[in-house]
Amino acid sequence: MKREDIKVLLVDDEVAFTRTLAQRLIMRDLRVIIAYDGEQALSQIKKEEPDVIVLDMNMPGMHGMDVLREIKKVCPDTQVIILTGHGTDKDEEEATKLGGFGFLKKPTDIETLEHKIVAAFKEKTARTM
Amino acid sequence: MEHKFEEGLRLLQLHFIGKILAGFTHEIKNYLAIIKESAGLMEDLIKLGKASESDSGQNLEIIHSIEEQIEKANTLFRYLNRFAHRMDIQFATFNVNESLEELAALVTRFANQKKISIEKDFHEAIPPVYSNPSLLQFVVYSALEEKIRNLDKNSKIAIQTGVDENSVRIRIVPEGNFVQGEGDTTSISYKILEKIVMQLGGNILQESGRETLIMLPLTNS
Repeated sequence: MKREDIKVLLVDDEVAFTRTLAQRLIMRDLRVIIAYDGEQALSQIKKEEPDVIVLDMNMPGMHGMDVLREIKKVCPDTQVIILTGHGTDKDEEEATKLGGFGFLKKPTDIETLEHKIVAAFKEKTARTM
Repeated sequence: MEHKFEEGLRLLQLHFIGKILAGFTHEIKNYLAIIKESAGLMEDLIKLGKASESDSGQNLEIIHSIEEQIEKANTLFRYLNRFAHRMDIQFATFNVNESLEELAALVTRFANQKKISIEKDFHEAIPPVYSNPSLLQFVVYSALEEKIRNLDKNSKIAIQTGVDENSVRIRIVPEGNFVQGEGDTTSISYKILEKIVMQLGGNILQESGRETLIMLPLTNS
């Protein structure tokens, strides 16, 4: 597995956070695309299907949980990691039911997120083989 | 009847404080997440040997981003601290604009979640009022919350203040389409709001276009 093969879509309305996190993931040899809300994310995945999506929950407009539901309809094999500052145990349970791969709370360590992304990519590869 | 009113009021106030705290902690967590990623990026650059003189522009940008987030967090902490201390005393002489500024900062996140913007249009030379500042914030919050809940996304709510001969006026003006009916405007919670404002010696009116007008007597009237 080459890291450069992993296409990651970051979805978060906090511009400074998303740009900085994207830069750090790119420095770790991942391919990163950014979307700042749910609508942008859904339009992006129709253009190019990512392997892993890192998705915020509380965003203006579409809520992350609704975005997750739509993602799973459009590209069910894409793995989704929720990264939120506001998630409850109930949210985690719901995200798992909807097919979410992981649930992380902000602020999280880059290593934790990186490992989760790699694990999610492996899961996607195993499903599509 | 009075006991039922007090009980209903306490429940609604607890809900109000809970909402404010939830929004506050969410916002602070976001600031901390940005600070953590920015500091992490600096660390990455140093470890990769990329934080040399030629990258000083980028390094300064990262440092400024950290400072900006700390400043935003500090401002929000200041608002929350003032909000909490308004409950220390029942009645006080205070500036309505300041109390609304603080409330707007603490509820903006909820409005933004629905892509609703909150705009302030305050009368600059507003005279002080002698009233209960935390109850006033609760009343204004309730009116705002009802509009946020029922307005369609991409709408706007203006908080306006003004003054006439005998009173200070606070007008909450929604601009946009309502996706639901009359909502809480005729419910028990609205009756509680009416009663609170009457106890403060003022008046609350639902106007055309679902505007809310709150009038409080001037200190010297």
